[in-house]
Amino acid sequence: MDVNIAKLTKDLGKIVGKDHVRIDKPTSVVYAKDVMPWDLEEKNIPYAVVRPSNSQEISKLLKYANEKVIPVHIHGSGTSLVGLARPKTKGIILDTARMKKIRVYPERGYFEAEPGLHLVQVKKELAKYNAMLPLFPGSELVATIGGTVAVNTSAHGVDAALGKPGDFVLGFEVVLPTGEVIQTGTESTRRAAGIDPTKFFIGSEGLLGVLTLIRMRLIPLPYFQQIVAYYNKTEDIIDTVMEMYKQGIHPPLFYEFLDERAAKIGFEAVGLEEPIGAVAMMRIHSWSKAGSEEKAQDFLKFLQVGNPIEAKIVKDMDEWNQIWSSRAEAGNYMYRLGMTFGSEISPRVDKLKEAFHDAQLIVKNLKSYNNAEFISFGHIGAPTIHAYAFIPTKDISNDLKKALTLEMREKTEDLNIKYGGCGGEWGLTAQRVSFLKKKYGESLYELLVRMKKAFDPNDILNRGNLQGWI
Amino acid sequence: MDIKESQALRSTLLQEIGKCRACRFCIDVCPSYQAAEWVENMSPYGRLQILKYLINGTLDEDDPLIYSLYSCLQCGRCDRLCKAKGQNLEVSKLIRLGKYLLSQGLVKGKKSEKV
Repeated sequence: MDVNIAKLTKDLGKIVGKDHVRIDKPTSVVYAKDVMPWDLEEKNIPYAVVRPSNSQEISKLLKYANEKVIPVHIHGSGTSLVGLARPKTKGIILDTARMKKIRVYPERGYFEAEPGLHLVQVKKELAKYNAMLPLFPGSELVATIGGTVAVNTSAHGVDAALGKPGDFVLGFEVVLPTGEVIQTGTESTRRAAGIDPTKFFIGSEGLLGVLTLIRMRLIPLPYFQQIVAYYNKTEDIIDTVMEMYKQGIHPPLFYEFLDERAAKIGFEAVGLEEPIGAVAMMRIHSWSKAGSEEKAQDFLKFLQVGNPIEAKIVKDMDEWNQIWSSRAEAGNYMYRLGMTFGSEISPRVDKLKEAFHDAQLIVKNLKSYNNAEFISFGHIGAPTIHAYAFIPTKDISNDLKKALTLEMREKTEDLNIKYGGCGGEWGLTAQRVSFLKKKYGESLYELLVRMKKAFDPNDILNRGNLQGWI
Repeated sequence: MDIKESQALRSTLLQEIGKCRACRFCIDVCPSYQAAEWVENMSPYGRLQILKYLINGTLDEDDPLIYSLYSCLQCGRCDRLCKAKGQNLEVSKLIRLGKYLLSQGLVKGKKSEKV
């Protein structure tokens, strides 16, 4: 594609203002880079980064991009773990960072936020109204509300305890790929029955439109109780989770675990004494203080089914914060001496143990790297197993990084197929199109392609993400 | 700085920056990122990437690049937020070393290094 950069710059400047168009290569490289472990290729580096401030500018930008047939890649904070954030073709990056307005309407029972706000900023604003933001990614410091809703990621949240982010979305303002600005949903706290186009955009990964305003229900801040449980082995935690669902016990809002290896790394990282085996940590919520205390006591009793070495309610928040941060730090410290290649496996809950054992075998028998170490942690109560292959070096080629990523992805996704899951956090396109085809068949994939075409006839938005790029 | 020292510094920088996982946890605390209305190449993450791609030859020295690197205030807030802190990644120090290399015209082992 021949693009006259000088003309493009001038045209884009007319749309968003010349101060908000960047065509220098350092800026392009910084925006194109994402968490994927291999370096950028020339095709990933955009012609320009534009930073609109409202839906009208985005509308004009998309109309222009359609007219010129130039792809536009939406950028929130670029924290996707499966390559959603890296442009797949030359084009324009649309950065939402200048769209950070938020307005809380307690009398209407909702808030409205622009897409570029980081979750931690939304949380801070909602805290003034004693409200909770039901979005829980580990990257909340920097992940945007637009990206989180566009992926509909549960992250730390156990779906069965509270639901997914999209369950709280009342409506959107969306700019369609062809430039029309539309409103969806309701201003009531009562959501639409029947066909509600709001749902088309929840989890659409930016393929169908640009979310420019997100309206979400206000959730009164619940009371929380914290539990930590120490086990001899990970299997005991898995047995407990399976039993929790089997017995119909109400799940905690967060139910995390660290396997034996991850627990040692995480606890050492935060200065805690090394645990004997695996560790589970739970956060329980209720709408009254007494309710939360009762629920925590009940859950503590239930936990005995898994024979923990010790299980206790943690009242001291400093102590809890230290324990809780071991979960995040395990991942960070693991990276110290090498690299990790991850996966998300969300099996049918009665198959959780089998899936976990299969995941161990996959890492043990990797073809692209011998003797990788299996490490696991994650949102076990959801249930999600993040199975990681750890290799003790960073000094490997881009090709090997890709090969390892692909092999882990493909093999663990086979487990999702075998055990009836599909993930729940990382989104289903970009690297995962082959999974979509394998699990649901070509007919469903073709349906998605036709849906994309109905919204975006020139394949302008996030081109490549539905083509199965890696 | 002689040739050996500058090569060693470049190699150290590449190795250390290789620890950056591009998670961008460091960006929001950076005062220059805030002042620039949240442009990522004015953040610690952006500067590390720019240094990496400059040393490996993907980027050339140009005004936007120099402006990004030299606008770092060396306040060190990013060091506290860095998710790779288990690896002792000293973000602000790496940016300082990168600036030093740049100021000596030594990034790509040319000019004064040959003197």
